[in-house]
Amino acid sequence: MTSSRLAIRIALFASLAASGVVHAYLYVDGYRDIPTVGPAFLLQGSAFCALAVLVLAGGPAWLRLAAAIGAAGSLLAFGLSRTGGLFGFIETGWQPAPYAVISVVAESLTIVLVAATALRRSKSSAL
Amino acid sequence: MSTEHDPAGMTRRQLIRHSAWFGAAVVLTVAGGEVISHIAGSADAAQSATPALRFAQISDSHIGFNGPANSNVADTFNQAIGQINGLGFTPDFVIHTGDLTHLATPAQFDQVKQMMTDLNTPHIFTVPGEHDSTDDAGQKYRQAFGAGTRGDGWYSFDIAGVHLIGLVNTLNLNKLGHLGTDQLEFIEKDVAGLSNDTPIIVFSHIPLFAMYPDWGWGTDDAAQALSYLKRFSSVTCLNGHVHQLFSKTEGNVTFYSATTTAYPLPAPGQGPAPKPMTLPAGKLHDALGIREVSYTKGQQALALKDRKLT
Repeated sequence: MTSSRLAIRIALFASLAASGVVHAYLYVDGYRDIPTVGPAFLLQGSAFCALAVLVLAGGPAWLRLAAAIGAAGSLLAFGLSRTGGLFGFIETGWQPAPYAVISVVAESLTIVLVAATALRRSKSSAL
Repeated sequence: MSTEHDPAGMTRRQLIRHSAWFGAAVVLTVAGGEVISHIAGSADAAQSATPALRFAQISDSHIGFNGPANSNVADTFNQAIGQINGLGFTPDFVIHTGDLTHLATPAQFDQVKQMMTDLNTPHIFTVPGEHDSTDDAGQKYRQAFGAGTRGDGWYSFDIAGVHLIGLVNTLNLNKLGHLGTDQLEFIEKDVAGLSNDTPIIVFSHIPLFAMYPDWGWGTDDAAQALSYLKRFSSVTCLNGHVHQLFSKTEGNVTFYSATTTAYPLPAPGQGPAPKPMTLPAGKLHDALGIREVSYTKGQQALALKDRKLT
């Protein structure tokens, strides 16, 4: 395994774990009382922590794809909660701080890293 | 063995390997969920072991309403009262966040007041809805429920270190809810002597946030009121009016709209106007309910449990 591959894997672990831990923390902190959104935070937190461990352990490409899809879904849900509302739940701006920022940065990074990995693979297979 | 291919081009060994990864993902997700739930459960247990304040919220009983959306609002309100009495603890108080009556007649006020005496709680508080002041700027409401209040019926009190404020934003309506200068002054003076870490709970009928201004679901001068509460670390605003659960966080303030005990209204913007919705048979109770609220010292957020009418 090249060092750049290992670096990407570690970065993916960090971004997935950050998003998962933030969602788990917010769930424990009080979001669990919000209908539908609370259980969704629990699922996001546990699934992202699991994906973080498995990606670090060298899981197959579809795990990274699942992570990117999950990150995109989380970002979409974040956007809905700031605009039209998500299952009757709406928040403003970057509240709760600093968790909203950490989560959005981590999920964006996840998507970028997965895309970069896919691009590298397609380039190397084309050679 | 490893070279045996299935029709999709995957060897058996690869299939087993992928299945193992998938199984690991499922197991780790479930295990992680269990751990997080356990931590949350411990937090719940810690909170429920020493709640400083527990109360119940009911809203929009609309006693006197008669229509296909609910042919017996008195019956569903009685069920809500029974459900509060069966919570398993005696709430420190019960707050009714307005629209106690549908047309603010003396008979309807008598009926709802009589019904609420069945609540097993030491204190009952109310704030008026616009249906409680249809023709007299809230005079009949204040005769029935205004004892000990100030101005047009607003008030504040303290229980268990929590400061609670009951507001009236249903008089002088100009589409949106309105508090007015006198009440804003009251709020400013009322909280002036409180320390920043005092938990604040505000009751109003119409939301203090812009839930859907096109339907009047907001209060035009709420920003001024909320500016007086900006310095407090925990502010919770509970309202009725919209007949559905909704929550929103703005900085240090969390807003929670309650459901009704009478009939549901459409979600914001769904339909031309917020008219009573007639649900299929057997579905009405799912849209109605009560709310249980608890506060534990040291916790910034209140714990809310919304329960469907049973």
